[in-house]
Amino acid sequence: MKLKASLGCLRSAILAGLSAACLAGCEVFNGPLSTFIIRSDFARDSYRLFRYTFIWDCIILLTVLVPMVLALFWLTPRTGPQEQEHVEGTSWLEAAWTITPALILISMAIPTIRLTFQNQPPTPPPGALRVRVIGHQWWWEFQYPEYHLTTPDELHIPAGRTVYFDLESADVIHGFWAPQLGGKRDAIPGHVNHIVLTPEKPGEYYGECTQYCGLSHANMRFRVYVDTPENFAAWVKQQQSAPATAAGNDPKVEAGAAVFAAAPCVTCHTIEGVSKGYIGPNLSHIGSHQTLAGSILSNTPENMAKWIRNPEEVKPGAQMPALGLDPVQIDYLVAYLESLK
Amino acid sequence: MSNNPTASPAEPVHAHEEVPRGTIKAYLEVAGVLTVLTILEIWAFYVPSLQPVLIPILLVLSGAKFALVVMFYMHLKYDHLAYTGIFGPLLALAGFIVIALMILIAYFMGSPPTA
Amino acid sequence: MAVAVPKEVVKARENYLTEGGLLSWLVTVDHKRIGVMYGLTSLAFMGLAGFEALAMRIQLAQPNNHFLSADLYNQFFTMHGTTMIFLVIMPLGLGFFGNIAMPLQIGARDVAFPRLNALSYWIFLFGALFMYSSFLFGGLPDAGWFGYANLTERFFTPGSREDFWAIGLLILGISSILGALNFFVTIVNMRAPGMTFMRMPIFVWNILVASVLVLVAFPPLTVGLVFLVMDRFLGTHFYSTVAGATPILWQHLFWLFGHPEVYILALPAFGIISEVIPCFSRKPLFGYAAMAYATALIGFISYGVWGHHMFATGMGPIADAAFALSTMAIAIPTGIKVYSWVATLWRGNFVWTTSFLYALAFVVQFTLGGLTGVMHAQPPIDLQQTGSYFIVAHFHYVLGGGSLFAFLAGLYYWWPKMTGRMMNEKLGRINFWLTCIGFNMTFFPMHFLGLGGMPRRIYTYGAGLHWDFWNMFCTIGAFVMATGILFLLIAMVESLTRGPEAPADPWDGRTLEWSIPSPPPVYNFAEIPHVHSKDAFWEMKYGNNPGHKVPEVAAEHEAGHVPHIHVPAPSMFPILLAAGLALCGIGAVAWLRITLVGLLIVYLAIVGIGFEYPTYGEHPSKERGDDIYPLDSRKVGMWTFIGSESLFFASLIGTYMAYKGRDLIGPTAKEILEIPLTSFSTFVLLMSSLLMVLALAGFERGDIKAGRNWLFATAGLGCIFLGGQAYEFNKFYHEGVTLQHNLFGQTFYTLVGFHGLHVLLGVIWLLTLAFASFKDMVPKKRALAVEFGGLYWHFVDIVWIVIFSLVYLMDKVTGA
Ligand code: HEM
Ligand SMILES: [Cu+2]
Ligand SMILES: [Cu+2]
Repeated sequence: MKLKASLGCLRSAILAGLSAACLAGCEVFNGPLSTFIIRSDFARDSYRLFRYTFIWDCIILLTVLVPMVLALFWLTPRTGPQEQEHVEGTSWLEAAWTITPALILISMAIPTIRLTFQNQPPTPPPGALRVRVIGHQWWWEFQYPEYHLTTPDELHIPAGRTVYFDLESADVIHGFWAPQLGGKRDAIPGHVNHIVLTPEKPGEYYGECTQYCGLSHANMRFRVYVDTPENFAAWVKQQQSAPATAAGNDPKVEAGAAVFAAAPCVTCHTIEGVSKGYIGPNLSHIGSHQTLAGSILSNTPENMAKWIRNPEEVKPGAQMPALGLDPVQIDYLVAYLESLK
Repeated sequence: MSNNPTASPAEPVHAHEEVPRGTIKAYLEVAGVLTVLTILEIWAFYVPSLQPVLIPILLVLSGAKFALVVMFYMHLKYDHLAYTGIFGPLLALAGFIVIALMILIAYFMGSPPTA
Repeated sequence: MAVAVPKEVVKARENYLTEGGLLSWLVTVDHKRIGVMYGLTSLAFMGLAGFEALAMRIQLAQPNNHFLSADLYNQFFTMHGTTMIFLVIMPLGLGFFGNIAMPLQIGARDVAFPRLNALSYWIFLFGALFMYSSFLFGGLPDAGWFGYANLTERFFTPGSREDFWAIGLLILGISSILGALNFFVTIVNMRAPGMTFMRMPIFVWNILVASVLVLVAFPPLTVGLVFLVMDRFLGTHFYSTVAGATPILWQHLFWLFGHPEVYILALPAFGIISEVIPCFSRKPLFGYAAMAYATALIGFISYGVWGHHMFATGMGPIADAAFALSTMAIAIPTGIKVYSWVATLWRGNFVWTTSFLYALAFVVQFTLGGLTGVMHAQPPIDLQQTGSYFIVAHFHYVLGGGSLFAFLAGLYYWWPKMTGRMMNEKLGRINFWLTCIGFNMTFFPMHFLGLGGMPRRIYTYGAGLHWDFWNMFCTIGAFVMATGILFLLIAMVESLTRGPEAPADPWDGRTLEWSIPSPPPVYNFAEIPHVHSKDAFWEMKYGNNPGHKVPEVAAEHEAGHVPHIHVPAPSMFPILLAAGLALCGIGAVAWLRITLVGLLIVYLAIVGIGFEYPTYGEHPSKERGDDIYPLDSRKVGMWTFIGSESLFFASLIGTYMAYKGRDLIGPTAKEILEIPLTSFSTFVLLMSSLLMVLALAGFERGDIKAGRNWLFATAGLGCIFLGGQAYEFNKFYHEGVTLQHNLFGQTFYTLVGFHGLHVLLGVIWLLTLAFASFKDMVPKKRALAVEFGGLYWHFVDIVWIVIFSLVYLMDKVTGA
């Protein structure tokens, strides 16, 4: 009796565990980087081909597994143990498993080749928004030649308009990938690569570097904001205007501006109307960003301070040195930067 | 273990392929042809009107020289076919590498800067 | 579980394991001993790579973990990959199984070049130790096992870590090429009489094709590494954009090697499975002929698919499509293999050994890996998967669940033959189930992670990406698998200390290795067997009529009337030569003068090997049975070497042609090359070939004096050629074209310089022969030695014929 009860207990525990595991397991496909959440034409094409191949793969796997299981556990041996069997191969069988896979492969190859060409048009589609993407160790720079804009790590594009990316690199090879928007491509020094895609749905999408690019490769992420056309226009406008600082009202911000101008910051960073550094990210509107430092930190004053205090601690190998500022200076500086909307 | 000093790895006593090799005369003739082909190559290089077809001419002439040395001086013509069977395919792959690298990198880098 | 009942144990008179003392292993040239050393070394490195993997898995178990620093993680994943590929799977497949089983399966007494075999091993060992020694000098290499340029340039990876990696791989590459050359020649030339290609055990087929792949795949890698070393040490710019080059060149050279490498790792595994499954199904392999052709076809196609690793680099749609098609095509012969294994199982009469279990797991896991491979062949899909954990899952299924599992099957299969002891099947079961479950727990979820967007080669990831659960799960799986491997060690030790003695033929095997005692005597076969069909031993045992009585296995070995068999004498030169090579490497990273010492040792050891047996060729080799082979092994080897060298030069020439006309600054070929001077050198080199054949003719006639004089004349012309080259280089240098000046400078000096180096080596070779002939070391009987020197010399000549046309005469035609 007792045994039975505990067995029942055990069974339900196992069931509960299994279903929890299933839930937890499937969660992986709902993440912000999942390739199964499809938000562009490119991602959809890839996914459809994936699904097609996946189904065939399952069928082919069955054609291996089923005969194997039958042979191992079902069929009785045809001959005595010592007998040399003279099945040297049956030609119709061999022909079948040569020709059938070939046909299946051809049925995959046709859409493959069609998409391969479709994904790489020789010229940018008319009306496409051009975005220059430049990989740096270890952050991303996005330039909009059309709007004369530069912004780091956070890319804004309008839904429904085709985007034509020009991928370049300032140092080593990086890989640009926003899974929900579709295929990755490498950013290679001395070369311009392209991705063409049309985002379909407004939202926030994650991206990351997928080509090993040195010490902090793992910390080279980015965000893509697909905006409605109106929001996108507003964003462009805001970015084009000089940064709206609260300078003048807040003494802390003003002190921060002074620190910035006096510190080595200016040699590497641009702030519209203040400095013209180009080695590091453009900070003109950094206060309006959601994330910092290659999208590895959310943009809070504490994180900003942490970064400035010692970039190395946040991002090993970071190309920005610790500047040895005292806490008060950092405090001012953070207030200033956060005010740059 | 045997310490017989003659116990060396696979080494044949009778030359397995006692085939007649080329004669000295044949070798000299080949040398003559090689010289002539080389002179032709250099001549083609200096004749301006041959410029447009220089590449095919050079490929053919150097191919011929290559084949002559391999067949006569390296004895492939006389030796067991197996040696040709080994060298031939590897040589073909070598050609494949050169062409593949040229095409792929040319396409990737675009047309060269004009000097 | 039914395991073949041990029959009576036959002891060999001279067991290869116990002959001689421990020191004798240092100078051994016995293929079985070399195999054992390969196996032990690889096993040790597997432990190291496994340790690195476990550390990485702990780091990745949770988001934002701090178990390993970024730096250490990058070192570990780089060395884990490099180790598993170059120091574990490749030496296990070729070095270990190739040596342990292949010569026995073809009924040979040893490989074609026993000392070369030892040399391969020692170079492998020293190269591996060299690479890992970077640990003592500032850390392990950390640019990935693929070492993508331009990250590997000194500007981006300062310090010596990457130097150790590049030079270490160069050294290991030499070992691989020599080993493969040896196996190739052995299989081509030393099969037992009657063993035609279509009667060869299928494992031997796979080793053959894998060896060919090594010979054709390593030269491009070598060239790639040479460029890298030059970039790092000499300031050239083969991979950086400064002078107009592109880092993509490295990717082409690397994957030109890298994809065939995948099959170098997989083919021996296929071979093992094709032996194990028939043996334990008690049926012949289904579709032998198709299997053999599929093996060859896979090898062939695998040379034309490398671009599928580069779909994200923007090769353009035409190249993408071409590589997609060729890659998909490879699925067909692979499918033939898988289905043939399944058909072999069909209505088999199974013996459920651990080896068999591993083989079954292999079939399933390899198929899974192959099926995801079909996805990567399609660029639109691959662009959503490359660089993600989906790829990590894929290649661990083909390499771990595939190759490694097959090797474990092979280890259990050949262990009794190798050690003379049976393994404990109970421990084997535990080992198998833990490893198999652990493996799938670790790597199956990585498919999910990859599709969930997790990139590979990241040391950390943020929280909230929905990757936490499976990452923890994978880490647990990795420990389960590691426990499984621990049981392998336990089982091995148990067998060696307490295992029952193994009979000659414990599995009722089909191939010749089971016809001799376990462990085999030093000379393997008392009498070289004659083969009349495939599955030669099975046929000997059972003939064509079932129920035939089993012949007394190996009785001849026992009776003591073994004919006197000459086995190759031990030699100290291989280990010496390898040490010299290692010194060269050490010198390169430490102090260049050490390299010179290393080179001197290498030269002396080569001469030592060449003239180790002064009366070479004078004993009746009937005793050793070498006269039964159709060709001269050394000549086959020489031609194979020349073929492989052609690919080396092809990679150099391809680079020259690809970069031609892309210089950012002059002067380039057009302005600077001097045709009259070079025409003269060309003529000199051509004529030297004539003198060379005259020299050979002299030695063949027995006219040593004439031969020697012609040799000196040939070497003299070689020196004139070199002098011309020195003049030319010097002149260019003074006109401003240095090695680092522009693309033309670096590609020209490298290509022509490497050719010049070969001429120099040729001159040294010929002079060595000429001087040796004074001491009567090159009698008429050894004219072949001159012929080999000659072949090399002519090869250098034909390379020049190509260079003269392509580099010098085509200089008017710019652009690729
Ligand atoms: C206990 C078993 C193993 C575990 C837990 C393991 C784990 C790992 C991990 C965590 C990585 C790093 C992935 C990344 O950061 O991108 C990796 C990479 C790799 N593994 Fe394994 N692995 C195992 C066995 C093997 C085997 C048997 C092979 C066979 C050849 C292998 C070959 C590789 C290769 C080539 C890489 C890529 C390295 C690179 O990206 O440069 N691993 N493995
Ligand atoms: Cu990266
Ligand atoms: Cu590949």
